[in-house]
Amino acid sequence: MTVFRTFLKVLNKCKTPIIMYTVFLIFFGGFNIQTSDNSTNFTASKPDILIINKDCEKGITKNLIHYIEKNSNIIDIENKEEKINDALFYRDVNYIIYIPDHFREDFLNHKNPKIEVKSTGDYQASLAEMMLERYMKIANTYNKNLSSEKKIIKNIDDTLSKQAKVEITSKLDTDHLEKATFYYNFTNYCLLAGCIYVICLILSSFKNEHIQKRTIISSMNYKEYNRKLLLSNSLFSIVLWLFYVLLSFILLGNIMFTLHGLIYIINSFVFTLCALTLAFLLGNLVSNKNAINGIVNVIALGSSFLCGAFVPMEYLPNSVLTIAHILPSYWFIKTNELLKTIESFNLETIKPIILNMAVIVIFTIIFVVITNIISSKKRKIN
Amino acid sequence: MKNVIEVKNLTKEYKELKAVDNLSFAVQEGEILGLLGPNGSGKSTTINCILSLLNFSEGSIKIFGKEMKPDAYDIKKDIGVVFQDVAVFEELSVYDNIDYFCGLYIKDKRVRKKYVEEAIQLVGLEEFKNFFPKKLSGGLLRRLNIACGIAHKPKLIFLDEPTVAVDPQSRNNILDGIKMLRDRGATIIYTTHYMEEVEILCDRVIILDKGKIIASGTNAEVKALASIEEKVSVEAIDLDKKYIDEIKKFKNVDEVIYNNNILFIRYKKGKNNLDTLLDYLKEEHIKYNKIYSERPTLNDVFLELTGKELRD
Ligand SMILES: Nc1ncnc2c1ncn2[C@@H]1O[C@H](COP(=O)(O)OP(=O)(O)OP(=O)(O)O)[C@@H](O)[C@H]1O
Ligand SMILES: [Mg+2]
Repeated sequence: MTVFRTFLKVLNKCKTPIIMYTVFLIFFGGFNIQTSDNSTNFTASKPDILIINKDCEKGITKNLIHYIEKNSNIIDIENKEEKINDALFYRDVNYIIYIPDHFREDFLNHKNPKIEVKSTGDYQASLAEMMLERYMKIANTYNKNLSSEKKIIKNIDDTLSKQAKVEITSKLDTDHLEKATFYYNFTNYCLLAGCIYVICLILSSFKNEHIQKRTIISSMNYKEYNRKLLLSNSLFSIVLWLFYVLLSFILLGNIMFTLHGLIYIINSFVFTLCALTLAFLLGNLVSNKNAINGIVNVIALGSSFLCGAFVPMEYLPNSVLTIAHILPSYWFIKTNELLKTIESFNLETIKPIILNMAVIVIFTIIFVVITNIISSKKRKIN
Repeated sequence: MKNVIEVKNLTKEYKELKAVDNLSFAVQEGEILGLLGPNGSGKSTTINCILSLLNFSEGSIKIFGKEMKPDAYDIKKDIGVVFQDVAVFEELSVYDNIDYFCGLYIKDKRVRKKYVEEAIQLVGLEEFKNFFPKKLSGGLLRRLNIACGIAHKPKLIFLDEPTVAVDPQSRNNILDGIKMLRDRGATIIYTTHYMEEVEILCDRVIILDKGKIIASGTNAEVKALASIEEKVSVEAIDLDKKYIDEIKKFKNVDEVIYNNNILFIRYKKGKNNLDTLLDYLKEEHIKYNKIYSERPTLNDVFLELTGKELRD
């Protein structure tokens, strides 16, 4: 209790910079979430589609075009190979549908006409693809059983109107996952900086050479003392983690109540433990209070940049990402990035996530071992 | 008398340097032992070795009759140490600092509260209880440092130069406090390079130089090692050289110096040295203002044994 109470008192003494730090981080992070809100919202829900129709606009063909128009942003581009390719490259359009000549006729005659497509291969494109596939599936089903085109179209419309809502919600909530990933990537910095700053500050007091001497000659068991110190620091880290988790519920809302949310939370918890042990290791190495700010910047800011906490991983050069492998942050952020692409959780999809976490756990163990070696060496003041 | 500490053939080497060289001594229960020596003579190193803070090359150390080891917590619980360097938390108040260090030994809250209050009283920091170390003067900080080391009422106390760079008021306070600790029954090891402190405080003294014991015993025993008996200074204005030459021939005179109108005479062993001198001055009608006689100090012993002053 003595150690813990003193821990709290020391912590209390440096509360001003800690609070300022946190407020700054929240402000910065929150601000970014708000801005990313506006930029992704619109495009995320509706793909940009170009329809090139070689058939007449009648009957089933007309109905298909209508359906797609209703659920996407129709883009108008001159039908030239070159222009179309440019548009795809610059993502002016996500998906291009070529409706062939005699589509309507062939369809009604059960000739299975083939619709050609071109796609950017991104998420919006896959939405468009699903839309098209769904329509064709339903259309083919009714086509088999009904002979009148009118009846077929009516049935298609009925089915689609019933399913329309389901379609959107059953799919990935990318908009929110995007934000959640951004938020949790950002906590990489917050957790690292928070843990390192506070724990180094506290340890620089407790492990001050002279105070350390007093502790060693006291009748308090030295191992027990270190354990208590570690426990106090762990408690702090967990409170810090809980704080950011709570904040994620406030800022991100419903997404946090899903399985995705749970994994974001578990992932950040594993990472917090790693940050804690890293901070403890650094605290044992650094005795100079003035050096702490520098260390926070180098380690927290450095690894955040290298591992894509601020800049998405896909924009980072490969060489940087290779180096980043040796940092726990890389594996933490990798899981966050992975999460926003996973549609359903099964053994296949969850395996890489567990592997990433295992790597972080290995880092944690390494930090603990090194800290133990250093700490037992420091027991003698030679 | 029981031996509280027994040090046998202690040697500590730093690469080339022997900081402590084959040291053997014992500390008896209830005494204040002075470890006297100039800077770098190995006082702190000796203490750190005794406390198992340092590995040493050779020797054995027993405290309370048991071998001292880094994990000998049953021995450590009865030891209090005040290190040469102030070791307190910047972030804690005077009271909380003492409470913390006392808490490393005493778990019971009520007992601890009492002990902390007593320690504060002992060093006279009652008015500064809620001050933070930054706001304390050097002397007060030293007193806090002492309080932190002794609040748990140890039976054996090490004090490593607790009065270095301390104002006279704090110094007296500290010395009084140490006497009080002894009166409470504690055994004390006190290192310093101020011989005056040893003279007023210590029952026995060990003089160290270059890691070796060059003299030890009670104050009187150690001083008896000096070959001189007394030192006499006479303030006499414009003394003629012939008188000085005459005085030099007196019995027992070891050395005569006349400088700044002060005649300084150092006598070897022998009786009635001052009488003879006074008679002579009267006979020759030499005018003098003041005259004093001093017994040899520990510094003189040190000077004779090593050829250098204790304090440089
Ligand atoms: N870590 C070290 N490495 C090498 N030499 C050391 C080390 N610590 C002390 N010494 C040397 O050992 C000798 C004894 O030092 P020590 O600190 O014990 O002296 P001291 O009597 O306490 O002096 P002071 O009055 O200055 O405190 C000195 O010559 C010192 O330079
Ligand atoms: Mg010393």
